[in-house]
Amino acid sequence: MTTLRRLFLAPTMGTLVLLFFAPMTIIVAYSFLTRGVYGGVTGEGTIENYIRLFDSLYGVILLRTLALSAVATLLCLVLGFPLALFIARSGSRKNLYLQLVMIPFWTSFLVRTYAWMFLLRDTGLINSVLLAAGVIKEPLPLLYNNGAVLLGLVYSYLPFVVLPLYATLERIDNSLLEASADLGARPWETVTRIIIPLCAPAFRAGAVLVFIPCLGAYLTPDLLGGGKTVMAGNLIQNQFTTARDWPFGSAVSLVLMAIVLVLMIVAMRSQKEDLL
Amino acid sequence: MKRLLPLYAAATFLFLHLPLLVLAVFSVNESRFTIWQGLSLRWYKAALEDSQLAEAAWNSFVIAIAATLVSTAIGALCAYGLWKRRSSFLTGSLYTTLVTPEIVMGVSLLAFFQWMFRYLHLQLGMHTVVLAHVMFSIAYVVIVVMARLRTMEPALEEAALDLGGTEWDAFRLVTLPQLWPAIASAALLAFTISFDDYVITSMVAGVDSETLPMVIYAMARRGANPVVNAISTAIILGLGALIVISERLRKT
Amino acid sequence: MTRRTLFLMGVAGAAGCSRDTRPRLNVFNWSSYVGPETIPDFEREFNVRVRYAVYESNEEMLARVMTGNSGWDIVFPSAYLIQPMRSFELLAQLDTNRLPNVRHLEASFQKPVWDPELQWCVPYMWGATGICHTRQAAQPITSWADMWEPEFQGRITMLDDPVDVFAACLKKLGYSINTQNPDELRAAQREAIEQKELLRAYVNAEVRDQLVAGDVLAAQLWSNTAQQAIDEAKNLAFVYPEEGFLLYADNAVILRESKRTDLAHQFLNYLLRPKVAAGIVMGARAACPNVSARALLPEDTRDLPTLYPSPEIMARGEWSLSSTPEIQRLRDRLWTEVKSA
Repeated sequence: MTTLRRLFLAPTMGTLVLLFFAPMTIIVAYSFLTRGVYGGVTGEGTIENYIRLFDSLYGVILLRTLALSAVATLLCLVLGFPLALFIARSGSRKNLYLQLVMIPFWTSFLVRTYAWMFLLRDTGLINSVLLAAGVIKEPLPLLYNNGAVLLGLVYSYLPFVVLPLYATLERIDNSLLEASADLGARPWETVTRIIIPLCAPAFRAGAVLVFIPCLGAYLTPDLLGGGKTVMAGNLIQNQFTTARDWPFGSAVSLVLMAIVLVLMIVAMRSQKEDLL
Repeated sequence: MKRLLPLYAAATFLFLHLPLLVLAVFSVNESRFTIWQGLSLRWYKAALEDSQLAEAAWNSFVIAIAATLVSTAIGALCAYGLWKRRSSFLTGSLYTTLVTPEIVMGVSLLAFFQWMFRYLHLQLGMHTVVLAHVMFSIAYVVIVVMARLRTMEPALEEAALDLGGTEWDAFRLVTLPQLWPAIASAALLAFTISFDDYVITSMVAGVDSETLPMVIYAMARRGANPVVNAISTAIILGLGALIVISERLRKT
Repeated sequence: MTRRTLFLMGVAGAAGCSRDTRPRLNVFNWSSYVGPETIPDFEREFNVRVRYAVYESNEEMLARVMTGNSGWDIVFPSAYLIQPMRSFELLAQLDTNRLPNVRHLEASFQKPVWDPELQWCVPYMWGATGICHTRQAAQPITSWADMWEPEFQGRITMLDDPVDVFAACLKKLGYSINTQNPDELRAAQREAIEQKELLRAYVNAEVRDQLVAGDVLAAQLWSNTAQQAIDEAKNLAFVYPEEGFLLYADNAVILRESKRTDLAHQFLNYLLRPKVAAGIVMGARAACPNVSARALLPEDTRDLPTLYPSPEIMARGEWSLSSTPEIQRLRDRLWTEVKSA
């Protein structure tokens, strides 16, 4: 039994070691080395990269990343809950609605982000319509700012909260809701006092499912934020390409990974069902 | 409240789908600006005639097919192995690859390849992109196949063993036939993920391995270009179809 | 379908893909920096295939090339990068015997400061960094200081290039663009950070469309890109700032990693042909160091004021040179801080 199993697990194990653990080890090593004059890595050891990261300048980027992710997560939860509630109550059309939510999500992240560029830019649809209708005289600067990035993040990850919330809502015993109504609660009160507390684990799960990818976001802040270093992901990409400071970029990557891993462990501890 | 909820849901669905609908509508717009000037397929024609786009699309296909074949094979076998007996190390590692930010995975692979290539005299190219894609697809394949395995009766395999078959026989003749739809579903998912990837690909691509997302990104950064609308709509429809089929297979 | 059918289809498919066996040359150049027929003509005449890709900044090019095995044969660094790239052994030494067309270059460009023997590079195009602006702007723009005016909030851009941005700041403060004085550089950085709030973005040639459309009122821009914009919109003008400006020259080099040095030399020699260089100028709208090519140009292009300013204006220009390693480190650090602020 074990030989076959080992044989089956070996390729995955090998891939992980070669293409995940080895690369991450190199990043760890680089984060403690020094940058060469025009780029590259020299052999001198240092912890300066980490010290630089918590300097006020780059610390702002980390804080902004945390803040944008937190706000995006909150918005997703608030906006996603009523949608999940609607789907859970929609009877025979549940699957159709679920697919309507999930399928666009899986098509193309890049295209969906570009779609918002098309809508929000100065010559984009929203500005064109408002200008044509005479509501505004000059185009509104809807793109290339933190607000656009927030919008992009919420748009990208909203489906992630709908699924766990829907799964929990579907399982809520109807008799609880009936009892609540019988005891005189208005629909609003039933929702806030019974349904939402029952969904607490789903809210936690959904929050983690959104917060973690938001922390690591690169494409959304890059395209919608105007190529400025809005979030940690942009800083990392910048350091590994045009700035050619691989050691510093490695340090930022590891700090981001550390935050993400801590969150993941916390989430796994409080989750009952596993995906894997 | 009863009336508010459906209204809200409709608004949210609109929010989720409007950007894509707008793209699709303007991809058939005659004008290059956001003023409607009548139906036209000129942007699709322009997209088809662009040799850089054609080459990039071809590269994307080749890479996606190669990466899908490898990652589906490896991942399906891994899911089966994990189903037989859990391995928290492997499971934890796969989870970690899922939560790792794409940019971090991309730069780490870049650093790894460049470091290795000093000794092997290789360059970044199609092969490095395929390797990278295999890496990030495996976890998804494992999840999909694992989900199907969990609904299966282990007793059936045990019966096969009792009847004198080897483990390999039990796998091949009992479990695998039931697993095909899930494996196909995982393959389609892996294909979609690979075809659409930008972040990791951009870090490890070489001179001759430009992919479609890379071209779209460059065009999107450069400014308003209606050809992007056409390609985008085509991608949404294409990948959307694959995902719908994948979902159907997953549920069989 | 039977397995046999699938196999046969596969074979047929593979056979259908014809393999291109012509020799290949990989050329990595600035965007909008060749004429429309430059590359196709080369491919036809020498029966080769050229993979031609573009980049927007020196940093982007250097990031790929720095590793020593990027796959590119020919790139076009600015003059100040020649000496550093040499020190990192990124460049292949040129065989001047194979580049007879060098004689077409202007005398000063045959012995440039950054490579007196032309052993490592061949000058390609040169230009200056100034300000391209819409004439509609309420205030006339004549100096770098004007790019710090609060009324331009959100309507101006600067180049995404540390050398150019710091050059503008240094000139505004009255210093040399090649200063090796850390205090002067730090003062320049403070200016840049102060200006950042007014900027729409740090962007290179991509800003051209926004200038033409009128979204951006003024942009720090290279003279050839500005000329391209002016061609499209007559209400644009290019100004050489009063305080002084940066002069640059882009050079064609062969990378040491290249395995096709013969073909690469042929390509460089081809670029130096008067007719080819003239074609490039018509497409790229750049100032050309090739005297014979300039003679072939139509009169209105030959003496464009944007590209060939008067001697009085030229006197205010300063060629951009490379820095010592410590100063380069400081500059890189300062620039990262500006971008992240």
